[in-house]
Formats: sequence, structure tokens, C-alpha cells
Amino acid sequence: MLTQQEAKNLIDKAIAYSKLPQCQADVSWSEDAFIRFANNGITTSGYRITQQLSISSVTEDKRGGNAVVSELTDDAIKRGVEQAEALARISKPNPEDMPALGPQKYPVLGNFDSYTGAARGDVMIPHVKAVIDSARQSQLTAAGYIQRSASVAAVGNKAGLFGYHTYTDSSLSNTMRTAGGTSSGWAAQNSVSLKDINGETAGRISAEKCVRGAGARKKLDPGKYTVILEPAAVSDLVGYLGFNFGARDAEQGQSFLSKQGGGTHLGEKMFPEYITLRSDPFNSKFATTPWGPSLLPNERMAWIDKGVVKNFYYDRFWASKAGKDPTPAPDNLVLDGQDNTLEDLIKSTDRGLLITRFWYIRTLQPQTLQVTGLTRDGVFLVENGKVTDPVTNYRWNESPVRVMQNTLKLTQPVRSQGAEAGSSIVPAIVATEFNLASVSDAV
Amino acid sequence: MKALPSPPFLTRRAFLATATGSSVLLANRLFGAPSDTDTKPSPALEKLAAVALAEARKQGATYCDIRINRYRQQFSGYRLSPQRGSNQTDEVPFVTDQQSFGFGVRVIANGQWGFAASPLVTPEEIARITREAVLVAKANSAVQASPVELAPTKAYTDRWTSPYEKDPFAVPVDEKLELMHGATLTIKKDPKVFAAFGFLAARAEDKYFASSEGSSIQQYIVQVDPALQATAVDFQKNISRTRSYQVQPLSAGWEAVAKANLAENAPRIRAEVLEHLAAPPVAPGKKDLVLLPSHLYLTIHESIGHSTELDRVLGYEANFAGTSFMTTEKMGKFQVGSELMNIFGDRTNEGGLATVKYDDDGVLTTKFPIVEKGVFKHYQTIRDQAHLIGETESRGCCYADSWASVPFQRMPNVWLAPGPREVTPDDLIAGVDDGILIEGEGSYSIDQQRYNFQFGGDAFWEIKGGKKRGMLSRVAYQSKTTDFWRTLDGIAGASYWQQFGSFFDGKGEPEQINAMSHGCSPSRFRQVNVLLTD
Repeated sequence: MLTQQEAKNLIDKAIAYSKLPQCQADVSWSEDAFIRFANNGITTSGYRITQQLSISSVTEDKRGGNAVVSELTDDAIKRGVEQAEALARISKPNPEDMPALGPQKYPVLGNFDSYTGAARGDVMIPHVKAVIDSARQSQLTAAGYIQRSASVAAVGNKAGLFGYHTYTDSSLSNTMRTAGGTSSGWAAQNSVSLKDINGETAGRISAEKCVRGAGARKKLDPGKYTVILEPAAVSDLVGYLGFNFGARDAEQGQSFLSKQGGGTHLGEKMFPEYITLRSDPFNSKFATTPWGPSLLPNERMAWIDKGVVKNFYYDRFWASKAGKDPTPAPDNLVLDGQDNTLEDLIKSTDRGLLITRFWYIRTLQPQTLQVTGLTRDGVFLVENGKVTDPVTNYRWNESPVRVMQNTLKLTQPVRSQGAEAGSSIVPAIVATEFNLASVSDAV
Repeated sequence: MKALPSPPFLTRRAFLATATGSSVLLANRLFGAPSDTDTKPSPALEKLAAVALAEARKQGATYCDIRINRYRQQFSGYRLSPQRGSNQTDEVPFVTDQQSFGFGVRVIANGQWGFAASPLVTPEEIARITREAVLVAKANSAVQASPVELAPTKAYTDRWTSPYEKDPFAVPVDEKLELMHGATLTIKKDPKVFAAFGFLAARAEDKYFASSEGSSIQQYIVQVDPALQATAVDFQKNISRTRSYQVQPLSAGWEAVAKANLAENAPRIRAEVLEHLAAPPVAPGKKDLVLLPSHLYLTIHESIGHSTELDRVLGYEANFAGTSFMTTEKMGKFQVGSELMNIFGDRTNEGGLATVKYDDDGVLTTKFPIVEKGVFKHYQTIRDQAHLIGETESRGCCYADSWASVPFQRMPNVWLAPGPREVTPDDLIAGVDDGILIEGEGSYSIDQQRYNFQFGGDAFWEIKGGKKRGMLSRVAYQSKTTDFWRTLDGIAGASYWQQFGSFFDGKGEPEQINAMSHGCSPSRFRQVNVLLTD
């Protein structure tokens, strides 16, 4: 790992070479090891180190330039600084530039695990074997991916700010398919510690889903359905919701938080009182840094509190114009849950669909946050509180805002990751009136 | 199992050795100025590569290749948007220059692939990383499906540069900013336009490849990508619309930016975003579609480009990007679309974003039919896949997006052949009674086996009685790949053929991006299901 002193030396060098009034240097360094498998065998895998130094310089009259280098010799850093400064001098004044922050007191986060940081094939391959064994036991074919990373983020500027942080992360995901491609099951685990990853469990869940989905799949008519969304599906929806909490877009008519005729929905109760969406960078399950894009210390922030739109994301510039304090970026999202299990949600549903995860989600309309996407790797009919038949996949056109508004019950949240929106800590939910637009023949 | 050596200590020491060194900038010394006359790779690169090849042999690897690469990207532009609570405009410039340099070593040992990479391009680190790659391969052989088999390729010693007239990195940044500032000011000139955005990207790859089979290949690729976008907002109706001037991104120099006529197109974008804002919503139902190349390229990409990737078909992407409906028994006989449909995989066509002389397997690239008269003919393949479908050579589709990424099968340029010379876009429109003309990218989504898609666009015009009418809004169409392509009944001639493309196609774990182009002429599709979105 790149130590604090080594990172500081790189940053100090960049600042020492700088001739303009403002200079900020960001160091990213990471080491990762990964194994990919398919058709019940390992395919590609690797081990690598990556590094970069990003230098941002600003003139007296707010002209900014940025250069990113991956060579970190004295010459390369000097040249990077010269390049950033040359670009800054050529550029035009940026009216949205904010003065550099001075020294900050950053919180200490406990998201580095040394076991994970040193892990290689010898500790990851047994998990791969366990997944493949599960597949073979059920005459299925497994594909998947296990990885771990150890990362360093460091930042400093001419005004005396300095931050250094190390964190680890790991994940295992796997997909199992029947020989004829008639069914597919999926499971994933994410944790800052590889010790939490368990190939046997992940393999068992995928295999169960795949086997359960292998019967004749019902092709229900498109329409509005009650859905039970597992955490990976909820994670994608919550991510899309989080992306759209910017004050600027809300105030300027470009988000679901904009009001018809002008103004915003801040302070309004838009959701049921059991919906609370917040950022929690101090949750040690998140692989995150003690600062966000503004370089202010990260902090907890509720975006939706008991159904009420509580806060918007104000970057430093927009906050200064609005006369508000800046808020942290809507990252490290947690959707609070309830004391239910997935089984409880299923039992409480007369007729609905249990959905494993989503795929290829894209925005259709910012003001309603209507998005389109597909289901994937396991859709099952729930009738009279029981999972009955496998069902085809569907394209859906729906808004995460409406899904949260139509949510009836939630489980306890877990760290999860879908296909599109990064990692979050979310429960499974049951929601009504979910709009399935057409059948997808994909398995 | 034997524990692998602890990497952090070695890594840190190696890192410090470089971080405190005082050599001249290594990447510049190795790659030097781009050359289009010299046909031989740099001897300094060959010397470094030889370290990996020798070390791999020593460690018992049966195959080794090393890629020493440098990537440069420059982004510049302007955002013009209103100040908070006022009609005054903030003009926000941006400019960044990014460089990434390092090497990756790939080996086959005990019949398995191994890969390792580092940003420290020194003989010592190359030897160490090569040992790491061999260790990875040997460890993996414990869970082996079948040994890796490589289709044969010739050994090449060559140097190649993508054609360009004017180096985009040599154009002064103030000239670039001035161009984008002028264009965005023109868009924002009408106070009813809410925001304007102008973006200019230049990208270059310096690639060096050497293999234990005797190849030594140095290549230099230059690409440019300019774009303009206007946004309009109606606060009373609580809606916003955008309109873009999408320019063909190309493997080319600054001359392509000059030809794009950004300044001349800005007033059109300004007028059309306001027309889009006021445009009535589409009446949903079955309609004929005339799709322009700036739109159709992405439809080709999603439905045909991805479905004919052999790694998907064989299950290698099952856990991430997905599989494909185009299963192997369909090769040579499956009717994907109408007889007008002729699609090629091609890494040789001038200007294509995936165009290169040799792929990242060191294979000489080719052009090959993917769909011929509507029938599926060939998959995109690389060396370790060819034998899996009974073929004896790779089709040259291997690519890694970084020195730190594992090379694997990626999409070449996949293009639709033009129709008869005399057919014009107006002819296509004239044959439509009730339809929509679509230009540009909108919201794109397709399932993991490439059947069910829903595509939007950047601008939509109603076609009534064979004539293009006013703009429509809130349009998306939904179909199934084969249903859609079977309704293709008209393609305009070669003079309307354009290649649009993307730099951001994602696939693989860890995810990699890929750039490719999809040339096509305006084309007509019959009775497609059109939706009204929110």
C-alpha cells in the first residue's frame, strides 16, 4: 500500500512545483486481484496495480486546468503541474469556481480489512470451487466473478488541506443456467471484508433459483402487478433516486423534485412514513472515503425522512448562491427497513411477482423519473402467500419515485448491488402497481 | 495450495523506486513523436518486452504477450446555464488532459490464462509482474474447464498509424475553447433556451504488443469526438427537452472537427430544441419508422453487434453482459432480417473507432460478413475461441481498454451496407403513410439475450402521407430484434452512409469499455410498436 507519508510526499511535490495561487492534487492508488469463471471453469483472472495523480490548478482570476498523470516520477509530476497550469492560463474564468478549502478534520472510517487487502488466488479460488460444485450438483453451468481491492485515496492543496484514507472491498457474484438455457439464477455478495464472502451460500442461492425457474415459464399479460423486489433490484431503483436529489436540477425544473410552475417539493411528504432514505458514510459496510467531491468531511444526511423530502444535495457553489450549507453527495445510500423477512413479504402477497434483479435501466423522463429496464435471473409468481410458478422476464417502464410511493412493506436492509447504480444498503420491498410493459424472451 | 507471495511489500518498494527516481518522462521517450513513415517498432520497447518473454519462458509458460501502452485524452468545452434565480448566464469552461501509461503481461501456463499489470515500466518490474502472471495461471489451473487453445496467427513486425491529417493534440486549447464557446453562445442566444453544452474530446492510444510467437507491433491511433447539446425547460408544464448536434466520432484528426461545422449547426440546434419542447406527444401504435444513421447506429450495435459476440453465445458473459439468442446452430442458416440486410464486422474501414491494423492478440484485422441477405453468417471471434466453433483462425476482435485490462473479445465496427445508389432518404419517407423519422441517441435498453429492446431518440418528426411534418415528443419504440429487422424494406444509397459510434460500450468483469463505429444509411422499418413515454 501507498503509505500516508508516501502519498503526502507526492502531493507536496506537486504543490511545490505549482506557481499558480491554487493547486489541488488527488492521488488514487489501488491493487486488485480478480478471478472470472464461466462454463464451470476459471477463464480469465489477474492481479494489477493502478495509480494516478490528478492536478487541478486555478489562477487568481478563476481560470482552471486539470492534468492527470500515471507516471509518478519527479519529472512526470512536474510536467503534470506545468500542464495543468498551462491549461488554466489558456482557459477562461470559471464563475462557479469556489475558493480552496483550508485544513479539514476528516472522520476516521473503519473500512480497511488487512486480510482482504492481501488476498490472492489461494483464498479466492475455494469460493469459486464452491460455486462450481453447487452448479455441478444440480447439473447446472456456473459463470461468475470474485474480486478484492485495496485502495488509497489522498488529497491535498496549497491552502493546507490534506486527507489520506485506505479502504478495501470485495465481491462474489454468480449466475447459474440450465444446460438448455431454459432458466437462470443469480446471487451476489459485497463486503469490505473478503471474510464475509461465502461461495457455498452464493452458489446455493443461485442453484435454487435456477432449478426453481426451470419449469414451464408462465407468460402473464403485461400490465400493473404487485412486485416483491429483492435487494439487488431495490438497490438499482434507490441509486436512480439518489442521483436525482441535486438542488440545482430540482430548482431549475429538471428533476422529480421540481414542482409544476416552479419551486420544489422540499419539505413535502411525498412517500409513506416508513420510507427513509439517507446517506451513511460511517457505515463500515461501505467502501468509501471520509470526504466527498466537495472535499468537505463526509457526514450523515437524510434525503427522505419518514416520507418527507428532507434535504437536497447542495454542492459548495450552489449552496453559496442559495445561502445554504453544502451537503454531502447522495452516495453511500441506506434505505431503512422494517422487521420483516422476505418470507413475510411473500406471505403477505395474494398475487404478485417475486423479482431477483433488474438489467439495463435508462431514464425516460427526468421530471417523473420514469425509467425503463428489464427483469433478469429469476421472476416467480406469488399466489396466496406462496411462490408458485416461474414466469418469463419483462421489460418495465416505471419510476422509482412511484415504486417508493407504492411500497407496502420492507425487510431489514443489507448491502447489495444491482446492475446499474453501484452499492447501497437496502431491504427487499413489496410494492403495488409496478408497470410491466412487455414480455422479454430472454432467459 | 501454496500461498502466493505477499504483493504489498514488493509493490510499495517498486512504487517508491519509481516515485523517487529522476529519469526523464519514460512514456515520451519510449513512444516518441508519432511516426507514419517508420515501419519498425521502437527498439527500446522491444528490449523491455524481451524481459517479459524471457521470464515467462523461464517460469514455464507456454505462451506470453506483453502490451506496453500509453493513452492520452483531452476534454475541453463549455457549459452555459442560468444563474440561480436569474436570467443571467454563467459561462463555465472546462479543460483536462489525461495520460495513463503502463504494461500488462498475459501468459498461458498449465493450460490456463494468467494476467498481471503495473504502471512501473522498468525491466525489474516487468520480470516481477511476469512471474505474478504465471503464478495466477498456475493457481487457476486447479479449476480448469478445458486448456486454452490458440488459433494460429502469423508473426508480424510492423508499425502502423491510423490515418489523420492534423494532430488534434497539437491544436491549441484556446482555439478549441473558442470554438466551443462560440457554438454554445449561439445556442444560448435565444433566452428561451435554458442551457447549452459543448464538448470536444481527443483521444490517442500508443500501443506496443510483443508475443512469444515472434510478433512485435507498434500502433498509434488518434480519435476525435465533438458534440453540442441544447436544453429547454417549460416550468409551467414541468417538462424539459434536449436537442443535440451529434457529430460522427472518428479515428481521424482535427480535420474531422473542422468538417463538422459546429458553428453553422448551432442555430439549428437552438431552433429545434424549442420546437421539441413545444412538440405534441406521439399517438402510440404501430408505425413505420425511418431511422437516420445517428440513431440507427445504436440499434445495430445493441441488437446485432452484441448478439453476434461469440463469448456471449458460449456463456462467458453469462454473469454480466449476458448471453445471446444467436446460438451456434443458427450460424449459416438463421434468417435474422429481411434480404436487404447485409452487415459486416470490420476493423479495417477508414475512420471506424475500432479500426486498427492488428488486434490485441497480434492478429491482422479483417472484414467479414455477419449477416448476408438477412441470414446470420459469422461471429466475432478471437484466438482462444475459434476452435470452439470449428474455425481455424481468429477474426481479429481482441481488445483491452487499458494496459491494466485483460484482452478479450470486443466488438469490431459493425456496419450495415448501403442500399441502391439511387435511393434517397426522401424516397424512404415518400413511401410512408403514417410514421416517424428519428434522429440521434435517446434512451436505449435491451435485454441480456438481445431480444427485447426499447429505444428512444434525440428528435422525432411525424411522417404523414409521404411527407415529413412537425416534431413529436415522448417517443420510444419497442420490438424484438428479429421481428424488427425482418421489417426492413428500404435503405438509402452509399452517399448517405455515415458511421456514428460510441466510446463507452461496457462488457466484462472487471468492466471494460470499448469504442466502435456502426456505419449505415437511413433505413425504413415497417409497423413497429411505438410507445408514449411519461
